[in-house]
Amino acid sequence: MNRFLKPIKVCGAIIALVGLILLVLAPLIGESVFDSLWAIEPFSYIGGALLIFGLGALAWTFAWIEWSLRKKPSNAMSSQNGGHSWSETTLQYFQLFDHDLGRPLRRIAGKERELRAVIQSNPGTIEPGVIDLLDEIERQTPNFRLMMSNIQILIQLESPENEDALQPVEPNEVVRRIADRYTSVAAEAGKEITWWSEPSELGLVYANTNAIEHIVTNLVDNAVRFASTHVEVKLTKNPTHFFVRVWDDGPGIGAQYVQHLFDRGWTPEVVRREEKSSSGLGLFIARSLARQSGGDLTVESDDREDGDHHTAFLLSLPSNISAHVNSVR
Amino acid sequence: MARVNAGHRILVVDDESESAIVRAVRRRLEEEGWDTPVIQPESGRSLGEEFEAATLWSIEQELPDAVLLDVRFGEHRDDQFRGLGILGEIIERWPKLPILMFTQYAQGPDRETAVRGSLKWDAQVDFIDKLASPDEVVLRLRRLIGTSPEAIPIGNQILVDVNSRLVYVGAGDDREAALEIQGMKFEIFRELAVTWYRSPGELVAFGRLERYSEGEDPRASLRVRIREIKDVIGKALNTRFGPSELIINIRDQGYRLVPPKS
Repeated sequence: MNRFLKPIKVCGAIIALVGLILLVLAPLIGESVFDSLWAIEPFSYIGGALLIFGLGALAWTFAWIEWSLRKKPSNAMSSQNGGHSWSETTLQYFQLFDHDLGRPLRRIAGKERELRAVIQSNPGTIEPGVIDLLDEIERQTPNFRLMMSNIQILIQLESPENEDALQPVEPNEVVRRIADRYTSVAAEAGKEITWWSEPSELGLVYANTNAIEHIVTNLVDNAVRFASTHVEVKLTKNPTHFFVRVWDDGPGIGAQYVQHLFDRGWTPEVVRREEKSSSGLGLFIARSLARQSGGDLTVESDDREDGDHHTAFLLSLPSNISAHVNSVR
Repeated sequence: MARVNAGHRILVVDDESESAIVRAVRRRLEEEGWDTPVIQPESGRSLGEEFEAATLWSIEQELPDAVLLDVRFGEHRDDQFRGLGILGEIIERWPKLPILMFTQYAQGPDRETAVRGSLKWDAQVDFIDKLASPDEVVLRLRRLIGTSPEAIPIGNQILVDVNSRLVYVGAGDDREAALEIQGMKFEIFRELAVTWYRSPGELVAFGRLERYSEGEDPRASLRVRIREIKDVIGKALNTRFGPSELIINIRDQGYRLVPPKS
């Protein structure tokens, strides 16, 4: 509906303007056309009607905008600004900032990788602290990528223009990429990631690629962080949905805290009154994205020290195959 | 013995090809045995246009197996997404050439614009973040190019020679063929090695491996063969691989290769 508001507003203004001109010029037009004063009246009526109709259309568009903003209070920040909504402008600024921040970070990561290559080719006596520093930079790089991505997605999520773009996606390939990214990170910490799908080729689904990639990245990032030794990612499907289960053998989460996991800004350190190790936005964004895409994200955890302690997140998303087939027909 | 990844050529198109991050990636690609010619345009024209012309000319001359392509060329506004234009040109002329976009715009609306606007669904194009580790770039290129190498090194001490259908064990000059790993056992190990080569964490489901087994209980037969493979390689390396080493069974779903720690 919002995309029709601007043309309606412009048309309303033009019609009102034409009506006003006609009303003012009615005596002149009427006289010159019919050469008598009574002929003024029809032009006055037409001009008046056009003016009222045009102003009515304008008033209706403003009322609609006002009503929309009241209906969606969380999106109130999206007031119009030079043809771009607040969120679009924020996103553009953020992308500039991301680019500017990305440059020094690429330099740091590049230098770190060069130094590591030199050390590997000339193994000698290297201060353990130097290797620790290089490892830390490499470990923090995926964190940084995820953080930047989280902020971008958050801005998009809160944009009223945000629409799900369905594209053909291979869930296996999405998980394969994420496993590529985290396999070496996990290996450095002495942990393993294994993934598989049932059936082994899940095929195509129609979904928002960015959303799936983002949700599963957040889940795997968490799992790698908290796992003791193993992370498992399993893909399955039924006729209408596909599922991604991310399991880790970490200490688990107490039942009293599970309900807070998806709260905005909540991290386990909040309970322990310690310094937060992350923004606590990842799972909030992941669940919001899942629900916006017509799916859900749930968690199941066991924190018994003597038992099979673990945490498992289950992402379910519609595969939209029948919707896509119908739209093609 | 076959060379690892012999002959692959990856054309690198990036205005920051001398930056540390691109040099680190090129070094890793060269370790993989790949040539990495870099586009070095002559000066004189606007940076983006020059890269576009030089890239298309180089593809014609070099016939690369894949292209590693940046999105942003220089700071000029017209060149902000010049790489997407180059991408469109390449797809138009060489629709089957694999292209890996190496960019900080690996996610978000710009990637969507590129995917929707300039790509055909069957185009061999993928996007990867510039901060991705060199190993991640290599894995993505391996899958984009698609062909299996003639030889797959698993860690420093095991090499699967696909051409001669032999598994070599040992380091350097002490490397010897493990002649007991032949026939079905070689096929099982090759299947595990190829999957690991393309996607290190991926499990190979029983279904894919059981075709190399026989008898009334193919899974039991598979288990025996896997045990024998581990024993042969372990013996050659003077070690004994436990249940969570070299080839591991995951939740009774399938097997996965884990390179031995050297």
